Parts: sequence; structure tokens; C-alpha cells
Amino acid sequence: MSSMNLEHFFPQAKAWVDTLGDIPPGSWVKGPKFGYASWEVGHILSLIVIGGTTILMNLRLLGAGVTEEKPSEIYRNLRVLQNIGVIGIIITGVLIGAANATKLYDSSAFTVKMMALLSGIILTYGVSRPVAAANGAVALMPKIWFAIGGSIFLIDLWMFATTDLIDVGIYHVITAAALILIPVTRGRLRWGYIAGMVVLIVAQFVHTHFVIKPDDYDHLNPVNKIYTALYAVWIVGTALITLFRGRGEEGGPLTKLVAYSTMLVWVLGAAAGRWIAFQ
Amino acid sequence: MMGAFLNWLEHSLGKGPSPDGQSWSEALLGSLNFWSLLEGTHLIALMLFAGTIMVVDLRLLGVTFRKTKVSTISDAILPLTVYSFVFVVLSGTGLFFAKPIYYYHNVQFLVKMAFLALALLNIVVFHSRVQATQGSWDADGTPPKAARMSAAGSLILWTLVIICGRFIPYNWYDCGKPQSDVINWVQQCKTSEKGEENMAGQRFDAQMWKAQP
Repeated sequence: MSSMNLEHFFPQAKAWVDTLGDIPPGSWVKGPKFGYASWEVGHILSLIVIGGTTILMNLRLLGAGVTEEKPSEIYRNLRVLQNIGVIGIIITGVLIGAANATKLYDSSAFTVKMMALLSGIILTYGVSRPVAAANGAVALMPKIWFAIGGSIFLIDLWMFATTDLIDVGIYHVITAAALILIPVTRGRLRWGYIAGMVVLIVAQFVHTHFVIKPDDYDHLNPVNKIYTALYAVWIVGTALITLFRGRGEEGGPLTKLVAYSTMLVWVLGAAAGRWIAFQ
Repeated sequence: MMGAFLNWLEHSLGKGPSPDGQSWSEALLGSLNFWSLLEGTHLIALMLFAGTIMVVDLRLLGVTFRKTKVSTISDAILPLTVYSFVFVVLSGTGLFFAKPIYYYHNVQFLVKMAFLALALLNIVVFHSRVQATQGSWDADGTPPKAARMSAAGSLILWTLVIICGRFIPYNWYDCGKPQSDVINWVQQCKTSEKGEENMAGQRFDAQMWKAQP
């Protein structure tokens, strides 16, 4: 796919978007020497607050992290911080976006990030938090929200993985999906999983450095895509075993799927945000 | 001495006999996607690293998880912090290796490293001194002043590390531009490719760079 940016969907808005950097609040952000950078710092700190607290709450639903406390207790203690993080991300994001509107309007990574934000808010507020509050039980409304938020997340993943110039960023999500499983899995499954990952990484390195020359892009690209698929199969396979092989903790496979998805959607948002700069 | 070492690191290490060959550092910086992936990994790992530290510090400050023992929170969360810190350090080292000379002459990076050292020192002090008496206040909703001071210091120092890290790409204090003597000295502009210029407009160019072909 060549582009999935806002200009593609709303071409008539271009003239208006081009003015946003010159009028408040965009002009306020761009004006002072440290202005723009300071709001960027605020954006990153907000991301850390929402990311860190969401990961901890959802790791608990997956049976890892602070397991001595019930998920409802984790939720009760972290919900205010999550609210602060989301509000911070939105406020700083709007200000940065207003100052940088023309670039974002033309950016596929920005579209991916916005969809991840929407999906992240739905999965966090509509699904993961109610599920944590109910100690892992998934009621009807969270199921409905999970269907909606999960669908947006999957479409967003597909967009990220198939859009030219940003598709490499999907490696962040794959890596996060892989790394989350290490503290979540146990015993032989964990070591087998790690061993499989090491074999794949070594095989890809040898293949793309010694079997094929590193500058032979015509042959490298299809080989790297095959390895990406192999990583995905290995990770998803291990994740499915983990989801369906409960260790007696709260909630069933759906609870764990909710937790896993909610963590990854925030990683997707952070990754897409970073790739706005690289596109 | 340091300038020569970084020059070797950036331009010579890993360079083959061919005059057109690239050093490892140049290859990393010029790679199609690897440098970008490293930077993205640095940010995402930071999300887990700083996010988990924040929760432990807020418990020590008596803000959150007040009914849960401090040891319960720290024993469960700090392994995740260490796990993510490994990725922060590895990706950060890779980013430095791609542009060592740039970072050496960047005051934001140098200040970030100073705050990082202080934050690590704060961890050492916490584990060696403050934590020694943890058994007596482990279940307290509000831990003693020393623990709260250490937690507040940790929050402030890590925030400063993040602020300075985000400021690194900005060219406010680049060598070669008129800068105060302190900034010029801290980032060793005299030995930089662009030389040094003070606020009075006096310039000093680096002999080391001029000597290069």
C-alpha cells in the first residue's frame, strides 16, 4: 500500500490544515525556543504513564507482575494514573499536532497512531479496566467493546504492516509481542520458546549476511518477509498455548487475550508515533 | 585523547581495506531501517522502564498501593524494570555508537548522562542505606522520610533524563554557533569539527579536524 494518510481520506481539508501551524494553539507551541520540544517531553511522559500502568494491570490479568494482589486492587490503584496518562497524551498530542499539522496530514504513520489511540482507549476503558475490576470476569459490554476495539486494532496492524516506508515499524509490535511472553510463560514452555526465537534470529542473521549479500535487496526483501511470518507464527503459537493453558489465575482465555491485545495496542501507538519522524 | 578515540570509533572501527568501505558506525547510521528501529526500541523500552519505576516510587511516596507492602510491589515490579532497562541500555548504546562524535559534542546528551549517573547513584544509596531498615516500615502506608526522599529524587532524576534525552536532536547549543564559555567547555567545542565560537564572536577552530584530508 502506498499511502493511508488523512490527505488521502479528506483531500478537501488541505487548505485548512495548512493554516493550523500559524494560528493558536499551533503558533503558541512553535513560538518559544523550548516550546515544541517541551510539549514533546510532555507527550512522552504521558505515554510512559499510560504505557507503564496499562502494562502492569494487564500483566496481572495474564498471571504475571504483582500477582499477590487481585486484579481489582491493581486497577483501583492505577486507574487515576491511567486517566492522567490518557488526558496528557491527548492534550499534548493536539498541541504538537496543531504545530505540525501539514506533516501529520500527509503521514500514514499518523493515521496508524490515531487508530491505535482510538483502539487503545476502547480496549483500556471499555474492556481491560472493567475486566480487571471484575477480577478477570468478562461481562457482555466488555465483550462488545472488545469486538469493536479489537477489530480496529487488527485493521491498524494490517495498515502498519503493509504501508510503504513505515511497514518496518511492525517489528516493534512483533518484538513486544515476543518479549511479553517471556515473563508470562513458565518452565519448559518458556525455555523452548526462547530457544526457538534464538534459532530464528541466528538463522535470519546468517541467511541475510552470509547466504545473501547484505546489499542484495531484491533477494533480501522476500527472505525477510518469510522470517517475519515465521516469527509471527512462533509468537502467536506460543501466545495461544499460554492463553489456553491456564495456571489457575483469574479469568480464562478471553481475559488473557484482552490483556495481551491491550498491551500491544499501546506499543503499536508508540511505535507508529515514532515512525512519523522517520517516514 | 577522547576525541581521537571517538573519531576512530566512528570512522575506522570495522572499516575494510577498500577506500570506499564504511566503518561499522557509518554502516549503522546509514542503514535503511536499523537505526530507526533502534530509536523506536529505545522509546518503547523506556515506556516500560520508566513506567514501572514510577509505580514503585509512588508506592514509596505513599501515593498508590498504600495497603500493599512495599516489598510486594518492588519484588514483583523491579524485575520488569531491570528487564526493560537491558533493552534501554542496548538500544541507547547502539544509538551512541552510530554518532559518537555528535553525542560527545552535544551538551544535552552530556547532561543526560550526568543525570543518569545521579539516578543510578540514588538507586545504590536506596538499596544500601534506606532499604536496610525496610522490615520496620514495609507495611506502612507512608514510608519514612528517607524512603520518600529517595523516591522523589528518583522521579525527578528520571524525568530529567527523559527531558534531556528528548532535547538531544535540537540544535540550540550546537558547536560553531555563538555559545557561552560554559557550554563551549562542557561540550568541548574546541575539538569539534565546527570549532568554537563564544558570545563575543571569537572563533577557535579544531586543529585535529583541519589536519584530516
